[in-house]
Amino acid sequence: MKGIRIAAAAVLVMAFLVTVFAQFLAPAGYEHQFRDQPEARPSLQHPLGTDQLGRDSLARLLYGMRVSLLLAPLAAALSTLLAGLVGGLAGCFGGWTERVCTLLIDLFLAVPWLFLLITVRAALPLDISPAQSVVITFLLLGMLGWAASARVICAGARNLMRSEFVWSARAMGFSGFRLIRLHLLPNLRGALAAQFWISIPVFIIAEANLGALGLGVAEPLPSLGSLLKEIQEFVTLRSESWRLLPLFVLIAVVSAFQALLNREKVRA
Amino acid sequence: MKRFALLCIALFFSLSLAAAADGNGELRFCLRSEPKTFNPLMVNDDASETIRYLTGGVLVRVNRLTQKPQPELATDWKISLAGRRIRFKLREGIRYSDGTPFTSADVVYTMQQLMDPALHSATGDAFRSGEGSVVAQAISPTAVEITFPAPVSNLVNLFDTVAIMSAQSPQKEMAALGPFYVAEHKAGAYILLKRNPNYWKKDSAGNPLPYLAAVRLDIEQNRDIEALRYSRGEIHLINDVSPATFEKLSHENPVMVRDAGASTDTEQLWFNQSPSAPIPEYKRTWFQSTQFRRAVSEAINREDLARVVFHGHAVPSTGIVPVTNKFWFNSDLKPHPYDTASALRRLQQDGFHLDQGTLRDRGGNAVEFSIITNAGNRSRESMAAMIQEDLKKIGIKVNVVTLDFSSLLERITQSYKYEACMLGTVNGDLDPNSQMTAWLSTGEDHIWNPKQKTPATAWEAEIDKLMHAQASAVDQRKRKAAWDQVQKIAWEQEPFLYLVNKDSLVAISPLVKNAEPSAFRPQTYWNVEELSLAH
Amino acid sequence: MLRKLGFAALRLLCVMLLASFAGAVLLRIAPGFSSDEQELTPGLSAQSVQAIRDAKMADSNIPRFYARYLRSLFHGDLGVSQSLNQPVSALLRERVPVTARNLGFALLAGWILALGLALTSQLVRTRWFAFVADGLSSSFISTPAAVLALIFVLLRWPAMLAAALLIFPKVYSYARNLLHESSRMPHVFAAQSRGAGRLRTLICHVAPIALPQLVALLGVSISLGLGVLLPIEVICDTPGVGQLAWQAAQSRDLALLVNLTLIVSFVTVCATMLSDAFRSEPAGSAA
Repeated sequence: MKGIRIAAAAVLVMAFLVTVFAQFLAPAGYEHQFRDQPEARPSLQHPLGTDQLGRDSLARLLYGMRVSLLLAPLAAALSTLLAGLVGGLAGCFGGWTERVCTLLIDLFLAVPWLFLLITVRAALPLDISPAQSVVITFLLLGMLGWAASARVICAGARNLMRSEFVWSARAMGFSGFRLIRLHLLPNLRGALAAQFWISIPVFIIAEANLGALGLGVAEPLPSLGSLLKEIQEFVTLRSESWRLLPLFVLIAVVSAFQALLNREKVRA
Repeated sequence: MKRFALLCIALFFSLSLAAAADGNGELRFCLRSEPKTFNPLMVNDDASETIRYLTGGVLVRVNRLTQKPQPELATDWKISLAGRRIRFKLREGIRYSDGTPFTSADVVYTMQQLMDPALHSATGDAFRSGEGSVVAQAISPTAVEITFPAPVSNLVNLFDTVAIMSAQSPQKEMAALGPFYVAEHKAGAYILLKRNPNYWKKDSAGNPLPYLAAVRLDIEQNRDIEALRYSRGEIHLINDVSPATFEKLSHENPVMVRDAGASTDTEQLWFNQSPSAPIPEYKRTWFQSTQFRRAVSEAINREDLARVVFHGHAVPSTGIVPVTNKFWFNSDLKPHPYDTASALRRLQQDGFHLDQGTLRDRGGNAVEFSIITNAGNRSRESMAAMIQEDLKKIGIKVNVVTLDFSSLLERITQSYKYEACMLGTVNGDLDPNSQMTAWLSTGEDHIWNPKQKTPATAWEAEIDKLMHAQASAVDQRKRKAAWDQVQKIAWEQEPFLYLVNKDSLVAISPLVKNAEPSAFRPQTYWNVEELSLAH
Repeated sequence: MLRKLGFAALRLLCVMLLASFAGAVLLRIAPGFSSDEQELTPGLSAQSVQAIRDAKMADSNIPRFYARYLRSLFHGDLGVSQSLNQPVSALLRERVPVTARNLGFALLAGWILALGLALTSQLVRTRWFAFVADGLSSSFISTPAAVLALIFVLLRWPAMLAAALLIFPKVYSYARNLLHESSRMPHVFAAQSRGAGRLRTLICHVAPIALPQLVALLGVSISLGLGVLLPIEVICDTPGVGQLAWQAAQSRDLALLVNLTLIVSFVTVCATMLSDAFRSEPAGSAA
């Protein structure tokens, strides 16, 4: 398991480094259109070929990773924090606190937030930069995507509150924040970690889908999500396997997060 | 033995007759959305239009290949009173799909329904030529006369969209005079049309039409899945194929797809010139400047758009009227050239200057604007990205914003909270009268500055005059001259920057016989009664 | 008992009413409410365009619309969809069973796969199994629903299997962690030290502890399942609730949206109440 964790860390470090040094690894840039070479196959000049407008696919992948792999984990952290807060409060305190939190969670799951997102887009100026637009998008995803996990965390917290070791801790005088920090949080870590790493690809894909509302990245800035959307065309139209690379990159990064956050010691 | 042989022969013939009576198979293709209505007079969307075309009987049908009107339910017609009256002579002995007889009373009833002020449809509005009511009168069971308060341009061709409803049938709008009738409808899934047993048309050998037994229309929004189903043989037609799908299918089997030539649809970009638009005044000044618009136009590489986005299946656009609209196209006009040097010269004449690669106006403001377009249209998104790159070369920064269609529509028609917009126009009707609301300065569709109380510019006033002139003229040459002049003004002033005219790309299975795709809608099945399926 | 049922009913009613009202408000304030694609039909007169807009704005006063809607709801009238020109009740009658069937299938398949892998990971505690299972989970959670659905259509497999594969990673991940945490309870170690085998430990000591939270997860996975299924229904044009929801969103169809929100909130709250009803005994007690 240690070997897997080292490999996972290496994948994440490599992903981080390639995005930081993207302009050196892909000097063509993500926006320049080589119009004489649209949808070109891989070559020395374009190691991953070009897209429909002749833009270097390697550059778009590296810059897309920069956008998504930086912002999606931040959004996931935000949603995990909110889920932990609401779910944890509900489970720890019970009674009316739990009832109110549960009502809030149910409402969040049921309300069609799509229209709020459309309204947010309408409120933003049209000349907002692509970078600002994508930051706002991930922020919104973080703030709206916590409800499903809060429920599970609430159930977990409730269960823990009834466990013997928590009773013992309370009998020894632990209460409030100390109880939560020292006894509940460590035991909820697994669930929180699961929520975190699951949210990363969900938010990356959701950001791409929000492009239909005018949120998310705008041309010419790429994101991993927008590159994944282009795979739809691949599935039905082309048989060019290198176009699946954004999907493999995302799988590798998400697996790396999962491996790092999974503390289970596997014994033979 | 003899008796047995006779029995077999008799069985064989009866089966053959049964097969012939059952018809020649089920044609299958997809609708992109659920039809909003089965009432042929209320059609305002593509899916409903398809149903109307396949089930509706019309007095006159415009041949999609020749663009000429030909007799259908009417055998003859005569226009009088300087274009205000039309008299139709109707075919005799025709019945609706449920057996109800067709007479002139049905035409009168249809026109009364169509011209009801409470009915708001494009079909009816096309006939509203002036104040006053439209009078439809049954002269005899096979003759009907319709009188309009003012001359109606292109009067005969307008009846191509008027499906005659029965005044007496208990089935109301579901009683069909066309080649098919609606037999089954599963909302969200499919619509099954079956051959109309009472359809009046026969082929040259006297065989009853249509050849097809049925048409099945599956509701399929996803174009990728539609293409997949076509390549598997699950459907027989695609009316409008994307350029990428066209290339792929063409590589697999060239006979699977056809390029029917340049369509009448246009793709254009325009700037918001509305005085009430909530945009900075200096930007409004740019957009209202002809030199600015011409410069932007010259900086856009239309050849690249046609080649890269449409894979060569498009041509740079000249203006309002595509070259395929043979009669109405002003052949003196050519596409605007791609010339960045000329673009910069125009901008300099207008007081702009380049400052370290950034274009600035007289006041020192950096030239930057946003282009909105509808999300989900890959061609348009790609064109916007290419235009962004083109304008960068002359120091203009463009932000591309894709919006869901309802939000975009609200911005361009109500709130005017946008700077530039890129959309396309579907031109079903070739006649310039169909574009009155777009070119009259008071028009709803005068989209760059709609519903003006008085024309904002001299050239818009001139266009108003010319549009009224062509609408009231009966002589086609006079109408052409006026419309040619409108095209010239639009070419010079460029309120719309016309980008490309796309080719009409269709997919027709080799199993479909007698298909002759047209550049005009409906491209693949305009002659549906003559289509058949090979076994 | 009666008091609990009363609270549950009240909670259900509150969520349904608040969610549907909030949905209506959000739709009303979102841009595009008063716009209709039909306005752009060439040749439409100014009066016709105005008539189309007036028809859209007929329900612009949301409190009034909602009050009228609730009154007619008591008579079984769910209103008329403006975009599809059909009674909402007829539309729902056709499509809810389709989605319910698809959801049931997707959840069943997703849970079987997830639980199967999670339970097996407790029995086969090797790093390679964990690696493969986690890799599968990561792969499917990283694949867009549209791509997976298209792949299944390409392979002519039921598209609902795609939904199952999208549900399974989340369920697997939580289930795996739950089982792992439960397996570290003191009584489990005690059982193992007294010679209980892996399978017996899992069934008799680990699973009962994890069960309440797994049942809680079931409630959440119904909401997850709906969230995954609806886009797949849109992509594959399955005539279910997903297609209706997309239609309602695109056309800003108020009557359709309010009814769909009621259904979604009903399903969500019922699912979570069901899982709450299966809350366990305090943790730590031996099975």
